[in-house]
Amino acid sequence: MSDTPLLKGQELFKLIPQRAPIVMVDAFYEAAEGKAHTGLTIAADNMFCRNGLFTEPGLIEHIAQSAAAFAGYGNYCQGKQPQLGFIGEVKKLRIQRLPEVGSQLHTFLEVKGEAAGVTLVAAETKEGEEVVAACQMKIFIKE
Amino acid sequence: MEKQELIEKINEVLAEEFEKEVEEITPDADIKSTLELDSLSLVDMVALIESEFGVKIKGTEVAEVKTFGALYDFVYSRMNA
Repeated sequence: MSDTPLLKGQELFKLIPQRAPIVMVDAFYEAAEGKAHTGLTIAADNMFCRNGLFTEPGLIEHIAQSAAAFAGYGNYCQGKQPQLGFIGEVKKLRIQRLPEVGSQLHTFLEVKGEAAGVTLVAAETKEGEEVVAACQMKIFIKE
Repeated sequence: MEKQELIEKINEVLAEEFEKEVEEITPDADIKSTLELDSLSLVDMVALIESEFGVKIKGTEVAEVKTFGALYDFVYSRMNA
């Protein structure tokens, strides 16, 4: 696992079309062989925080944007602009707990299959070694 | 793995995943209509075949594998390549 991001902060705008205040990924660490690693530090003013906790929609959006950044990194390497992505389905979602403001999340993605323009991605979000959320997500990237 | 054993295993995992009777899965049957796959769920079959048999079906190949018979041949040939 790399500790040094390939891209961070506003550099992520090269990978995803989202802009503040809805940007839910702030570090892109690596991508290779159908796998990727992203990150997010939860700021106090994050729009998905309630009572000092990063809520369920925020975790799902973070995973979705991590998958979009993964797809966007492939385009970025080919000199293309980031493309709009849509969540087709979320399966096997498990949220173990809600992370606190200030937490550093690391999300690990793996492509499980691709067909008819739909990519099935398995994701696991960790804080340290602890898994806080996991799911499978189907992503459709608009060409 | 012998081909007949592979066929039975493919039928078993597909029937379980997509909640069908094994008897519905025959060599000439159309995969999409039998398993009621749409554009979103087709990728589930691709992921299942890869996880169970280690065989990746690429996007262009999915369109060519229309029947279960074609799927058996595809997986068997890739496993023995």
